[in-house]
Amino acid sequence: MPLRTTTVIGILTILFLVSPFVVVAGASLDTGNAFQIRFPPHGLSLARYAELQPRYFYAFRTSLVLGVSTATLATAIGLMAALGAMRGRLIAAETLLSFFRMPLQIPFVVTGAVYLQFYYQLVATTGFNPMSSLLGLLLAHLFIVLPYTVSAIAAVVPRTNISLEEAAETLGATKWTTFWRVTFPMLRPALLAGAFYAFIISFGDVPVSLFLVTPANMTLPVQIFQDMRFDFQPSILAVSTLVSIISMVLIVGIQKLTGLDMVLPPNQRPN
Amino acid sequence: MANELIGPGATLLSSVASDEDASAKQWRRLLWFPLALSASLLILPQLTFVTMSFHRDIGMGQVSVDFTIANYTQILTDVFYLRAIWETTYLSACATFCAVILAFPTAYWLASIEGPLAMLLLTLILASALITVPIKLMGLDIILGPSGIVNRAFEALSIISSPVPLLNNDIGVLIGLIQYTVPILVLMLFAVVQTIPRYLEEAAHIHGASNAAAFFQVIVPMAKQGILGACVLSFNMCMGAFTSPLILGGGRVLTLPVLIQQKIIDDSDYGLGAALSTVLVCFVLLMNVAVGAYVMREVRRRAKRPHRG
Repeated sequence: MPLRTTTVIGILTILFLVSPFVVVAGASLDTGNAFQIRFPPHGLSLARYAELQPRYFYAFRTSLVLGVSTATLATAIGLMAALGAMRGRLIAAETLLSFFRMPLQIPFVVTGAVYLQFYYQLVATTGFNPMSSLLGLLLAHLFIVLPYTVSAIAAVVPRTNISLEEAAETLGATKWTTFWRVTFPMLRPALLAGAFYAFIISFGDVPVSLFLVTPANMTLPVQIFQDMRFDFQPSILAVSTLVSIISMVLIVGIQKLTGLDMVLPPNQRPN
Repeated sequence: MANELIGPGATLLSSVASDEDASAKQWRRLLWFPLALSASLLILPQLTFVTMSFHRDIGMGQVSVDFTIANYTQILTDVFYLRAIWETTYLSACATFCAVILAFPTAYWLASIEGPLAMLLLTLILASALITVPIKLMGLDIILGPSGIVNRAFEALSIISSPVPLLNNDIGVLIGLIQYTVPILVLMLFAVVQTIPRYLEEAAHIHGASNAAAFFQVIVPMAKQGILGACVLSFNMCMGAFTSPLILGGGRVLTLPVLIQQKIIDDSDYGLGAALSTVLVCFVLLMNVAVGAYVMREVRRRAKRPHRG
């Protein structure tokens, strides 16, 4: 079979996409002296993994807590919005959904600036500072991930069979039992996919968080980003490799749980 | 219960309908909280921000009280800012062009191979789309550096005699932007290509079309809408991209998002930063509206054309 141009472009594109991760992982295993980055590595060692600074662990914990809280809240709110819009028999359901998608029109860096400014105003007028806790980051992350959870769940709600729920209620199930035993299981793949997107966006975000982090609430991507710019040490390579591996495990795991179709991104993506 | 509102003469049919009304009403009640939250997360912060852009900065992160459009006139008359708008647009357009050229054939290829290999490759692309950006940039930094793989390969092949600067300039930023949008475009276009029936291409082959002819005259026109959507998406992403221009441009490529961050974090000039942000958002929205209007006109024009048997 002759090699087609599309195949060649496809293979090169995928190599291009994968290469940064391969290079980072490869360089992280190099022996070399501390401040030199070499790829391919001249020897193999885990030295760079042994010298990980504690600040990365703290930042990882912050990102994890933030990502999980953002994903949980965004999924719950997305579920309410999706059920309300799709089951409420509204004429303007589509318009309503596009309202929930509006944050996608705003570049992340602008959202970061907007929230920083908003929190300053809040401190000036009420004395309450959301940035003294994780709340500051959480609200901004909720804002950017809600479009994903709402879209992911709203796409699946019309495909669920409402007569199953009616049957449950006819047979005497209460509203809550019906929800937990009938509606929820039908929507589970969509909920998982929505939560997955919310988590991975929140966990990986730099442009929004960069404005809102404080030394006490430093997220891992921002820590990596800042160290890359101002304080480059080869141990960043090790941290980055670990983050890539964790993300990869998560992506494969969610695919096994929900199927690839659910995990492919909704057609609206952020800036 | 809604049933009690209906008189004794109500037919079975209307009682079913009112049951459905009642249940729809209950579902609708769920909307209040998400709506209120989204509206406050959107409107309150944006409003304070846009208001800010109409006040002059007076240092120390404070703005004056009197209303002025000075920030906007400064942006729209100063060559420095106009250049930044142009630079952002130009880089985004180039990156979008290259990204689509790479992404569409890739999506087409993936759709044609199917099976576990396609699944594996899609997973890799998904990972590339979702793993946090600084890691990608770190890898690109190593690859594109003066002693990076690209320069060493070119030197080994005697294409160049001394390292070509691929970082801290437009080329680096362009590569970063392409790397940023391609995975998402492949996934999006993969969904588009999958909806094109395979037999159309087979029919073209039976009628003697070459691979290239079938690709350009059957597949590409069928996917035209999707490709246009991908272009808009990629353009929007690039216009708002911040991390790639900052890291790979090394502070020498000043796009609007980079300037916004500089104004607000480094210079604490909130008024100007807010005005720049507003200009960026409006500019991107206008571009999208223009594309939307063009598409609508095309659709209408095609609808007017008489049907071919």
